[in-house]
Amino acid sequence: MNNNYYTDLAIKGLRAPVGAHLILHAHADHDAILLDGKRLGDVIAETARRFNCPLAIPLMDLTLEKDALLRACGVPEDEIESYHFAPPSTSMENPPKLPPLATELPGIPLTPRMRATCDAITRIAQTHTDLLPIGMCIGPFSLMTKLVTDPIMPVFLAGTGITAGDEPDIAMVERLLALGEHVIHEYLRAQIAAGAKAIFVCEPAANLVYFSPKQQEETNYAVFEKYVMEPMRRFAALLAEHDVDLIFHDCGELTGEMVRRLGALNPAIISLGGSRKLWEDAALIPKTTVIYGNLPSKNFYAPQLTAENVAAMARELLEKMRATGHPFILGTECDVLSVPGSEAEIMSKVDAFMRA
Amino acid sequence: MSNPILEQLSAAVIGGKSKDAKAATQHALDANIPLQEIVDNALVSAMGIVGEKFKRNEIFVPEMLIAARAMKESMGMLEPLLAKAGIVPKYTAVIGTVQGDLHDIGKNLVAMMWKGANFRVVDLGVNVTPEKFLAAAKEHNADVVGLSALLTTTMPAMKSTVALIKEANLPKTKVMIGGAPITQQFADEIGADGYSSDAGSAVDKACELIGATA
Repeated sequence: MNNNYYTDLAIKGLRAPVGAHLILHAHADHDAILLDGKRLGDVIAETARRFNCPLAIPLMDLTLEKDALLRACGVPEDEIESYHFAPPSTSMENPPKLPPLATELPGIPLTPRMRATCDAITRIAQTHTDLLPIGMCIGPFSLMTKLVTDPIMPVFLAGTGITAGDEPDIAMVERLLALGEHVIHEYLRAQIAAGAKAIFVCEPAANLVYFSPKQQEETNYAVFEKYVMEPMRRFAALLAEHDVDLIFHDCGELTGEMVRRLGALNPAIISLGGSRKLWEDAALIPKTTVIYGNLPSKNFYAPQLTAENVAAMARELLEKMRATGHPFILGTECDVLSVPGSEAEIMSKVDAFMRA
Repeated sequence: MSNPILEQLSAAVIGGKSKDAKAATQHALDANIPLQEIVDNALVSAMGIVGEKFKRNEIFVPEMLIAARAMKESMGMLEPLLAKAGIVPKYTAVIGTVQGDLHDIGKNLVAMMWKGANFRVVDLGVNVTPEKFLAAAKEHNADVVGLSALLTTTMPAMKSTVALIKEANLPKTKVMIGGAPITQQFADEIGADGYSSDAGSAVDKACELIGATA
């Protein structure tokens, strides 16, 4: 597989939402499906067929790796969802024991949800052979931000030149980054073994909230390089080693320079958020990378944004992207979530841009 | 502000220099500058400037947080003295992320900016039930209740929380909402009193709703 497969899809005019959540939640027993790989695979295939898309884009659930890591650390199951590691200076009655550094860490067992996701990939690879089986994972930096109470401050301090040796909070962030990367690589290998031909990696926290553009410009993006780009290069290298394609997603607010650096990973597809003018970003991204996005799916629930509005936005975006000559797949800024009570409203916007 | 010590303190907060802020606070105390003057003329005004710079995109979230950390260091020195002198913030805000939503960055930023504007802030954390919001609003006689949500899937929880607080008919409590998917239209639709698109504007909106000056 190479990037030509995706540029061909773009040339043929493919358009699609990241819509597995919408289709999954149309099933009454959606929670049970999440733990049943075969049925989950069928739902992902159903999503692909519903939107006429040969890419079997899985559910964008970015909680699985945190769950696996915290289980491995011995955090009680009922605390996992809201759990954060505290800085070493914080007094705790029973501080959790951090496992050893990633290089010394034995294999972290896959959780039931992770196993179901892998089984879903196998199901698609074996049963829905007209679809491209795709894996999904969170990026190392975004995972780290879910593991500590305040990730912003240490990242900023690291950008001022303070090191892990000087500041315990930075040491914790760097250790959790390494551990997170280890978990992600384990999960990645499992998804590849299950049959994934591409991996959709989501790094939404690599954005202006965590990385001040002012500081990045003053420091030549040093901390962004260290905490986002270096792990992503290792990630991309691992995929390349297995001949698996990289689909990179970041719906956070970015600077043009961040987009340029992420584009240099040469992903098969880069998916960017609603804040970006994709027709301007086209100049920052290699022509071998398909740009995907970025209709405002986070607002599809709102009746004030009509289906006609969405269709008009889609037509305008298509026209502007056509003018750039850059391979482009029309889609959504992020995954389209099913909001209870607003399912029909949301689907009407998806259908509107699919027809526009 | 013409006092050079307060100017130093203000500059330290704006620049996010915690050690300098602590030193300047000590100087201010040593110079017997009234506590309220230190709070109003150095800390609150500094955080006001920080909020304005943020709104103008001159600084970003990390710089705002580091400024708040410097202010917190200073307040940590002042609070016991303020309590001893019986000086309490005039307004109280309750804030939290709605039920089902575990995201807290936006909520923390607003809490920080409200503290910077010298509100007493009761932070309920994340995944807060409507009942817990209402109980806290009653217990603390809140002037404003702030609801945050990042996910479209948790917006219905925002609607039910607003409804519950409104049903309780608390005489002075105003409800504000915010978060990435939230719009003014949504605020109007669910009957919230106010909406703000960012943490800097959240101070202005809260002050407007309760008739205070920022």
